[in-house]
Amino acid sequence: MSAVSVSRLAAVLAIMAGSLSLHASREQQGTGLVRGRVEAIERTRSLPRPTIAEIAGAPLMNHDGAERRPSVVYLEDGPRGAFTDLPAGRARLDQRHEQFVPHVLAITVGTTVAFPNNDLTFHNVFSLSKVKTFDLGRYPVGQSRSVRFDRAGIVYVFCDIHSHMNAFILVFTHPYFAVTDDDGRFTIPGIPSGTYSLAVWSEAGRADAQRVTITGGSSVEAVFRVGRQR
Amino acid sequence: MSQCRTGLLAASMLAMAALASPAAAQTVTAARDGVRSVRVGGDVSAVFGPRDDEAFFNYTDYEHNALRIARVRLSGEWRVTSGLSFLAQAQTENVDSLDAIAAYVRWRPWSGRTLVIQGGRIPPVIGAFARRAYGPDNLVIGSPLAYQYLASLRPNALPDTIDDVLRMRGRGWQSSFPIGSTVPGPGIPLISSRWDTGVQVGWRHRSLELSGAVTMGAPAAPRLKATNDGRQWSGRVAVTLAPGVVAGLSGARGAWIDRDVLALLPDDRRESTQSVVGADVECSRGRWLMRAEWLRSGFAVPLASGSTPIAHLGASSIFTDFRYRLHPRWQIGMRLEHLGFATVQGTGGPMAWDAPVERVETVLGFRVRRNIDVRGGWQYDWRSGGRVRERGFPAVQIITWF
Repeated sequence: MSAVSVSRLAAVLAIMAGSLSLHASREQQGTGLVRGRVEAIERTRSLPRPTIAEIAGAPLMNHDGAERRPSVVYLEDGPRGAFTDLPAGRARLDQRHEQFVPHVLAITVGTTVAFPNNDLTFHNVFSLSKVKTFDLGRYPVGQSRSVRFDRAGIVYVFCDIHSHMNAFILVFTHPYFAVTDDDGRFTIPGIPSGTYSLAVWSEAGRADAQRVTITGGSSVEAVFRVGRQR
Repeated sequence: MSQCRTGLLAASMLAMAALASPAAAQTVTAARDGVRSVRVGGDVSAVFGPRDDEAFFNYTDYEHNALRIARVRLSGEWRVTSGLSFLAQAQTENVDSLDAIAAYVRWRPWSGRTLVIQGGRIPPVIGAFARRAYGPDNLVIGSPLAYQYLASLRPNALPDTIDDVLRMRGRGWQSSFPIGSTVPGPGIPLISSRWDTGVQVGWRHRSLELSGAVTMGAPAAPRLKATNDGRQWSGRVAVTLAPGVVAGLSGARGAWIDRDVLALLPDDRRESTQSVVGADVECSRGRWLMRAEWLRSGFAVPLASGSTPIAHLGASSIFTDFRYRLHPRWQIGMRLEHLGFATVQGTGGPMAWDAPVERVETVLGFRVRRNIDVRGGWQYDWRSGGRVRERGFPAVQIITWF
């Protein structure tokens, strides 16, 4: 190879390197968002067992009928660098009117969740999930217990005293997820440019993941249809 | 199975069957008045223990061994409106019969007040244990002596003298007396696990709970239809003393002897009252749960012969339950109890009218899933009378509920 050829190759390589560097820089700096809607069937809220042995008038809990349960939309493959330096967050799962509020909570690994009791009765929060097994014991109104979640996955949360109480905690290794609102809508902002697999978790059933491509400043729409539709 | 029981059972099962399809529809249709129309629950349990054809320490008034039993229970609640509900519960033990444990109407006259009126086959007011679900809420495998162990007295058979009573010490699983039914049959516990029929009122305000009932039977002998003379009056007051600490006082008085048997006695000996007073407490905090209950029962027993027309036979029971959760999946439990009987004067001298019993039961439980428990336990009983004076029983229980 001649000296000219060598210098030209070096120049091309340098440009390519510069281009790659620029591209990588754009990937890191340019972000977009995914928004959309999850169309899921309405689920009945878990009801208390029949209060056959009740005599003294217990407060009548207004356990509403069917409702649209929240879903969680998330990136299956988070952007490079999204898995490190996650801040140790804090979240809250209330116990109110013999229900966990919210019913679905999405957090990142390392988050500590508080379980305050805002009912007039005792509660006993526990989970037998492999991701996190815990039992907070019985504690009264005004008190709270906390659990730190260090592994990713789904945690099923129950009350040992009230068998109809249940909730889900989804623990992620990255921050690119969103819990749907009452209308099933979601927005995941701040996603670095790139192509990702967008998935949904829902109590109502499954839906195929979708490929979405984010470019700087773009907004991508996605609609999931989960389970049997009304 | 009596015609009456069969009818009630059929009605409750039909009601549950009829409600099953609305329940399914309810999953996609919001209910009226902000409350769901139908709820269904139940539990299934199986207890594996050794045969006990000699001591009968765990024989129940359903005539089964509580440590060797398969039980299926199904409950239903149909809320017609926010203030009116129909409730029923059916149960089978060892699949040999189907019993309607409960079938009643619940009415809340005022939506803003916690006043409840219930009528039908209703939960017992007295004590605390009888209203707890047998399976998930019972801390050990067996039942407390006061609610399970059969004393020798029978509503359909009466002794002639006090010595007839003393001859039946420790034989409550199959006692016999000369007046009334002369066929040997099971006796009665201090408080039956069966529910009585009548009307009750309950009211709760802040930390105070009051309840009272008028029913047809007696604590030891509930009735589906009136076969005795008199009504049972019962009441309970409970106070939440502090978070996790509830204490209750209760009392009841009813007629426990069948009127057909009483009719065989002279007028001045037709007394058939059972009186019960009780106190109970529950304390829980963190991983601990403790319950204790004391009951004292007095049976008026007419004696056909002798100078004493009525024998007043007292009995008392006390038990304490503990549970400690070692781990989200593991728990240990224990019950300590005593069932005693008052001393009476027989021709052979003073003696307790039935053989006192002490019991210790321990259990180790493993929570397989949220609603599936496997428990292994050991129960030991001591009795101051009868053919078998003491015996231990291992038992394994599998229980699930929904």
